[in-house]
Amino acid sequence: MIAPEAAGLKLSLRPPYRPQALNISLNQAGIALLAALGLLGIVMYVVKLITAWGDRAEWAYPTVVLMFILSTATAAPLIAYASRMAKGYWALPLRRVAALYAVPSLLSFVLLIPIMASLPPLEGRSNLWFGFSAGAPFLTDALALAILLLTGMALLWFSAVPDLAGPPSRVRAMGRWQRLLYLNWSGTARQWKVLRAANLTLGAFYLMGYAFVHMLLTTDLGQSLLPGWRSGIFPVYSAVTGIQAGIAITLLTAALMRRFSPEAGRFVGDEQASALGKILVAATLMWFYFFWSDFLLIWYARLPSEVAAMQVTVAITYILPFVLTAVLMFALPLGLLIFNKVRQSLSLIAGVSALIVVGILFDRIRFFVAPMANPSPFGHAMHELPAPYWPNALDILFIIGFIGLMFAVFVYAASRIPVLNGWEMRQGSMLRKERTFMKTHVLVIGKPD
Amino acid sequence: MQSQAKRELLALYEEPDQAADAVERLHSAGFDDNDIEILSSTPYPEGAFGEGHTKHRLFAFPFAGAACGMAVGIAWIVGAQVSLPIITGGKPIVAVPAIIQILYEGTLLGAVLFTVLGVLFESRLPDGVGLYDDRISEGYIGISVMARERRLPDAQIALEEASPIDLLSKEGSLMHAPGTT
Repeated sequence: MIAPEAAGLKLSLRPPYRPQALNISLNQAGIALLAALGLLGIVMYVVKLITAWGDRAEWAYPTVVLMFILSTATAAPLIAYASRMAKGYWALPLRRVAALYAVPSLLSFVLLIPIMASLPPLEGRSNLWFGFSAGAPFLTDALALAILLLTGMALLWFSAVPDLAGPPSRVRAMGRWQRLLYLNWSGTARQWKVLRAANLTLGAFYLMGYAFVHMLLTTDLGQSLLPGWRSGIFPVYSAVTGIQAGIAITLLTAALMRRFSPEAGRFVGDEQASALGKILVAATLMWFYFFWSDFLLIWYARLPSEVAAMQVTVAITYILPFVLTAVLMFALPLGLLIFNKVRQSLSLIAGVSALIVVGILFDRIRFFVAPMANPSPFGHAMHELPAPYWPNALDILFIIGFIGLMFAVFVYAASRIPVLNGWEMRQGSMLRKERTFMKTHVLVIGKPD
Repeated sequence: MQSQAKRELLALYEEPDQAADAVERLHSAGFDDNDIEILSSTPYPEGAFGEGHTKHRLFAFPFAGAACGMAVGIAWIVGAQVSLPIITGGKPIVAVPAIIQILYEGTLLGAVLFTVLGVLFESRLPDGVGLYDDRISEGYIGISVMARERRLPDAQIALEEASPIDLLSKEGSLMHAPGTT
């Protein structure tokens, strides 16, 4: 048995254990570095807005960052939903960490607006919209992403209310609107029940929105800008590999939390690594499954326009990012994760997760740079393969800065909202007990709902 | 009609078993689940205190929202297509496969917005329960009962028999010196 961290089984109910937000200060080297990177990200974004508005090729690498955020931070809250749905108590210390990634996900909307503004007209190129003229793709894509982000924030908000509200006298003393934000929280049985139902309902909508946004953006920012690229599998590939990277970033965050936050870190350990590790192996295998399904069809059918598109994203133009992706997202993780020792150790699996997070950046480069930088997106086939569009110094600074900004926003959010879901952890502690069974120890779990 | 007015009592218990005992005694005294409210800082499994199934209508909200969202989506796309009719690939002006993503988007938006509104509504905003005590957020369990004036003594006896640490009415503590509201 991979035992849960002992602290998680012995939480006090009276007085109730209340998790704290991270205590951060700019005097800490890591925080100062993140703040500097975040500042760099903001500066680079403003520079891009001023110097490159409407220039699609200039927004190619910001598109990579957008898809990176959608495939890491935006995917992470799904872990909170999935573990609630499956009643996975092992995930209790990770649910808030995963949900908190809804906050840096908001940055994706900031990126989407100038990127959408740089797209050419739909007429004359393959697209999803069949001549729909009332707002596609700008309004439709922005609305879809807004729905997803709104749902993520609502999930975070509702699940955080019991930890943030404090005593009823505090809530009652608040003004009307502030009380509304705190759901007038007093801890009635009805409020608890509504909260649980809301978490599940909104979680389901989040999953629906996540898949939908990946379908729209992989098409509007990818396939429809590279003539000949027609894949029904690619949106699913994007969503599934996003989940793989979402798991990876959550594990990485958990390992950092254990290392740098003694208060929160004592609840996180090998139980989480072991449970999420199994899902990570499955997601890693899915990478190959979807890649191969997509590749084999085109390789076998030999349609020149589709082969050309595959040569751009896989075989010729962006072969270097493809090889790095294949190694970092599939070969190395699979080779390492098949060993129990790696899968069941938070420190080791965090290393594998770091590979996957880097790998997905290269994956998004190979898919989204060529379409965004393609000067002739019209028609049904490319006449010749485009030259690779490698990043210049500004692009590299943008990538580093904006991804740094994503993590800086996460850390800031974690310094305002507790990184642990106190009420769920207390309930988990009440319903999980370690017992002696003959000559061994077993975990007895109550699942009442 | 003074005797018809309902008043609230709130008892605080140290142990969940005591709170469950209080609920049982209230049931025995003729109070039903609509009169009883349980307050805690940690969610207990439904029925842990012997209370009945708590009903809520949160699940109706997404359906209503989805229907509204879909209606707006249909209006949006049919209006746009009809006002600027372009025949694409010989397909009808309003073809279902072409509009499905707009309908999905509208439906999802409506469902999400109404769910959020539903949570606010079901949390009984802007008003919540009447009596409260900060000790509930310190881990004590509160059992609140609404009783008509003439049934108030029965409720008080039932709550006291379960050994509360405090028993409160609107006027203050019925057991010892007030320090709470």
